[in-house]
Amino acid sequence: MDRVIGLIAANFETKGMGELTEDRTIGSLPYGGNYRVIDFPLSNMVNSGINTIGLITPYKYRSIIDHVGAGKAWDLDRKNGGLFVLPGSVFGVHSENSHFLLRDIRRNTVYLERSPAPYILVTAANVISHMDYRPLIMEHIKSGADITMVYNTADRDEAHRLGVTVENGRVVGFKPNPRKYEDAMLDTFVISRDLLMKIIEWYAAIDYLDFFEAIEGDLDKMDVRAYKYEGYARQMFTSRDYFEYSMETLNLDVAAELFSRERPVATKAAEAAPAKYLEGAKVRNSMVSEGSLIRGEVDHSILFRGVKVGAGAKVRNSIIMQSCVIEDGAVVENVILDKSQVVHAGSVIKGTGDTTFIKS
Amino acid sequence: MVNKKPFIAMLLAGGQGSRLGALTKHIAKPAVSFGGKYRIIDFALSNCANSNIDTVGVLTQYRPYLLNTYIGTGSSWDLDSHDGGVAILPPYATETGGQWYAGTADAIYQNLDYINLYDPDYVIILSGDHIYRMDYRKMLRTHIDNNADLTIAVMTVPWEEAPRLGILAADETGKIYDFEEKPAKPKSNLASMGIYIFSKKVLEESLIADSRDADSEHDFGKNIIPTLLNQGKRLFVHRFEGFWKDVGTIPTFHETSMDLLEAEPQFDLMSEDFPTLTQDDSLPPHYVGPKGSVDRAFVANGSIILGKVEHSIISTGCTIEEGAEVVDSILLPDVTVEKGAKVVRAIVGEGATVKAKAAFGSADANVPIAVVGDDAVVE
Repeated sequence: MDRVIGLIAANFETKGMGELTEDRTIGSLPYGGNYRVIDFPLSNMVNSGINTIGLITPYKYRSIIDHVGAGKAWDLDRKNGGLFVLPGSVFGVHSENSHFLLRDIRRNTVYLERSPAPYILVTAANVISHMDYRPLIMEHIKSGADITMVYNTADRDEAHRLGVTVENGRVVGFKPNPRKYEDAMLDTFVISRDLLMKIIEWYAAIDYLDFFEAIEGDLDKMDVRAYKYEGYARQMFTSRDYFEYSMETLNLDVAAELFSRERPVATKAAEAAPAKYLEGAKVRNSMVSEGSLIRGEVDHSILFRGVKVGAGAKVRNSIIMQSCVIEDGAVVENVILDKSQVVHAGSVIKGTGDTTFIKS
Repeated sequence: MVNKKPFIAMLLAGGQGSRLGALTKHIAKPAVSFGGKYRIIDFALSNCANSNIDTVGVLTQYRPYLLNTYIGTGSSWDLDSHDGGVAILPPYATETGGQWYAGTADAIYQNLDYINLYDPDYVIILSGDHIYRMDYRKMLRTHIDNNADLTIAVMTVPWEEAPRLGILAADETGKIYDFEEKPAKPKSNLASMGIYIFSKKVLEESLIADSRDADSEHDFGKNIIPTLLNQGKRLFVHRFEGFWKDVGTIPTFHETSMDLLEAEPQFDLMSEDFPTLTQDDSLPPHYVGPKGSVDRAFVANGSIILGKVEHSIISTGCTIEEGAEVVDSILLPDVTVEKGAKVVRAIVGEGATVKAKAAFGSADANVPIAVVGDDAVVE
């Protein structure tokens, strides 16, 4: 796949995540007990043989740069190719919920110009999937299309995803708010480098546009094909999405697909001993990460690295991020607990689940 | 041009560890899995990393393949530096032919060129066989303060264990005046931990002399140390107070593993100030199913527990199916215990499968601990 370079747009911003993304971006949100959201598209690219990847960073770039570093965890610290951190538009026109700002790509054309690879695979950072991009790329090359876009069937009514109208395998239009069972974009596409450069040139004067807005009027002039992805895929826009989709990873079938040992999801390494269970621990239907120390009860929850659950404490239907301490006898129910929070002995925190987020 | 490194480590990792039986049938003892996600050699390598030693030669011989791949560039221990780093040193051939390492001293002798490349002042010789946490910088301090030629790390052991170990006698300043390898009637209970710091010049001279001695077994304990003592060299002890264990037999391997499960273990794997580093596979957290239960256990990432786990170590990537039970046991990585199977007081090798409804091991303390090797199938 040395004919393809990757581009990950990690500068998507939305108010829907609320405080979850106050100090971080969607890409650097902890996910699946041991990962960050960005690990999924990044690992999928590397596992599909793409070794040159540009990462368009968001305004709040600290957390994401801290996480990806020089790309070592993904074997992207290479002499040839590797990871390129590309600055996103910091003070540009901020289009709420836009998916790929043309301005971001325009600012980084040097990255595109330098590579001899004729194809570019573009994806948003907020897609959780275990997609193998190789069949998509093969199909794109075989068909000779200008652009090949990935879509799937919406699993519920979507307020944020972009609906797509597909006729005879071609994309003929976009529409907002796709309903359940309708087709919706997965914000992933393959395009030839030359065409992308041209589009940027054509729309130079109005680069505050989103890529999809820009090409919408030209769909009848270009050969834009649709590629349906049948595997598990979720795109996150709100804290409710984050909570519900996170909880889906407790389903063994979903976990088996997302965390397959072939084409594994890589993440920045951190050292911790295996999780330790002491007398009194009672854990059901939960994921527990390394470094955790359990003396209490945990049910239908996700515990990140280094979480301590004290004697007699109860954690139910919650996401507990790394290094939290639930002291003896405390009760935590239906909440997302940010990193390093301490729930004091005997205190009770009960949330509504999808939106109750606790941070200091 | 290679930069001078004042203090480098040579790690002996060639031993078979035959007393671990089935566990070392295919791999060397230092490569055996321990503590759910580690390999025995991780403890010595982590000690190097935590002691700021950035140049480590690892001497391999017995079935080195897994060990070589595992250590790789040394990045897991932050030892992948441009300057120094980890070097795997298997026996090699020269224009006059090659030969296997004849003993611990011979292994180092054959790699004097590697040592001299870094022009060190001090060389620490380690074994990849032991579970312990030690700051080698403190031992080097002892060595320098005593102006010693050789410093040997020691600990007091129960008298009944002394006849199996290298036993030293030292005066109140720590100067060694007697050394006996496996004495029938030990004069002291101060045992060598097999950790030596040599001043490089002394090391080189003694190894060259030893290589010319046709009667020598080329062993540090049997030959080098007694010779240096006879020559009146300055040999000192460095007293070590912490936990140190040779998990070289099945009973000690099992017992040491089980002690990790205590609320206040002798050796705390979870200590954060001197972390044990290992190769991380980015596996997902372990999952406990709706009918699963876990009581007093270590469970590593990537495991799926749908059955019952009691007082056991479940290493990375294991699967315990519904209705299966694992009690007082150690599952090494990637073990599957199928539906309804029972594993009691056992050690199950990497990648092994305990078939549905099979029973393996016995709760009877008079029966030896059940062991099955890597990739085995227990019906």
